[in-house]
Amino acid sequence: MVAQRNPLYSAISLIGVFISLACLYVTLAAPFIAAVQVIVYAGAIMVLVVFVIMLLNVEIAERPMRLRALVPIAVMLAAVLFAEAVFMIYFVQASPATPTRNISDVGLTRSIGEGLFTTYLLPFEITSILLLMAIVGAMTLARTGGLLSSRAAVVPGDQVFAKEMLNRQKYIDDLTPVTTHSTEEARGLLGVEDQDRSPKA
Amino acid sequence: MEDLKHLALLMIGILVAFTVVMTLVAYTVLAERRVLGFIQGRLGPNRVGPGGFLQPLADLLKFIFKEDIVPDKSTRFIYFLAPIIATVAALMTMVVYPFGPDVNLPVLGTIRLVITRFDVALLYVLGVTSVGVYGIALAGWSSNNKYSLMGGLRSSAQMISYELALGLGLIGVVLQSGTLDLYSIVEQQAGHLGISGWNMIWVQPLGFLIYLIAAIAETNRVPFDLPEAETELVAGFHTEYSAMKFALFFLAEYVNMFTVSMLATTLFLGGWNGPFVHQLPWLGVFYFLGKVILFLFLYIWLRGTLPRFRFDQLMAFGWKYLVPAAIFNIVLTATLQWLGAFDYLAQFLKTQTGFWG
Repeated sequence: MVAQRNPLYSAISLIGVFISLACLYVTLAAPFIAAVQVIVYAGAIMVLVVFVIMLLNVEIAERPMRLRALVPIAVMLAAVLFAEAVFMIYFVQASPATPTRNISDVGLTRSIGEGLFTTYLLPFEITSILLLMAIVGAMTLARTGGLLSSRAAVVPGDQVFAKEMLNRQKYIDDLTPVTTHSTEEARGLLGVEDQDRSPKA
Repeated sequence: MEDLKHLALLMIGILVAFTVVMTLVAYTVLAERRVLGFIQGRLGPNRVGPGGFLQPLADLLKFIFKEDIVPDKSTRFIYFLAPIIATVAALMTMVVYPFGPDVNLPVLGTIRLVITRFDVALLYVLGVTSVGVYGIALAGWSSNNKYSLMGGLRSSAQMISYELALGLGLIGVVLQSGTLDLYSIVEQQAGHLGISGWNMIWVQPLGFLIYLIAAIAETNRVPFDLPEAETELVAGFHTEYSAMKFALFFLAEYVNMFTVSMLATTLFLGGWNGPFVHQLPWLGVFYFLGKVILFLFLYIWLRGTLPRFRFDQLMAFGWKYLVPAAIFNIVLTATLQWLGAFDYLAQFLKTQTGFWG
């Protein structure tokens, strides 16, 4: 996933990573988490990511690799990670403790549901409120600014048009004129800055 | 030895289920063409074999021998990957559906007519279905064609929106039966003559309706076939696909129809439950497939009857009507569950079943 140059390939690889992760969860006797992993990450979030990549039509330019100096460090870190993995495998095999047979129902739907709606109800609800806040925040950020662009010409008592639209007659059909009664009102309506307030004759 | 036997049974089960479903899918295509022909006052394909019975075979041969065209500026790897994702995702859900009750076989003993059974089967179905979106979205993108891209984008938006309504519509059933395991859900629906216990009738009529509508949208069928709207987008996301790759998309669509119908049958129409299943377990398989075929016929019927949605109507309908209705259904079901209405109903149905055996 990291090595790909094409962002879409990276995204697809990431989907593969998520699905593999779900398989790991299954082997860890947590089928519910595995299913949720696939539904939420592979099924919903990554669809949006792929969607955005497809819409933006990102260039697949062969960029020169930046941060070349970091390559040795990255290799070292990877080696450490690998060594760690080898050690873990060795350690687990060498351990005399047999894996516990009765992993019981830790990963099953019922136990997770009970946990979420009894013991951990408050954190669960707080998380949902956090998500709600994120949604409202995103919408608020996306809706800043007035009704028209800051290049609008404001004539009190007259109809309000955007300057650039007046210059190019072909767009005149797209305009919805708004009648105002004072400069203040028009400015409030448009959300324009000072330099754009000068009336056009 | 026991493991080996289990494995062999599993393999046989997958093989049989695969063959049966694939055959039925092939004949769904034929049935669709014949029924549409009937609706539109024409004959449909009737030349290959008696009554057109061998038409699917002819179609398959034609698909195989057609030229396989790859657009010049396509993103080749993804272009090849997309139909595979679509088909695999469509076929993968097949393993969790209970096709019938426990049956006795001469050599193998008592076997259960479900390939695998696990705790979160329903979530598994939803998860795999949601991965299927990529097949269509990536196909649209990688073809490097504006019609394909439009189709892919429409389909992504549509499937994400309706997946929500679909999932919410199913929660009612889950709440009421208290499990995500499809086999248990089917077993719970055995009522009077194997009919009165169906979820659709007593407890989830609204959920059933929501699921049905959302499922048609999920499979990109009329009236929700905007991703491949012929009159607007040539053929939508599979405009640039030909030969077997197109056949894979075609297959994926019909297998999706099939799996969606199987889920509807399992959750709302009592799965393999029906009259006299307890005496003759093999009847269950026929009941199950019969109900599925009923749904498939409904699909074809709708295709011959309804015009296509406009895109804004589609979105408004999904988000402003289906989702609120589904949430209302959840609240209603939860309230009834809390009041103990379903327990009472189950008790009532149980006393009735005893009478009929």
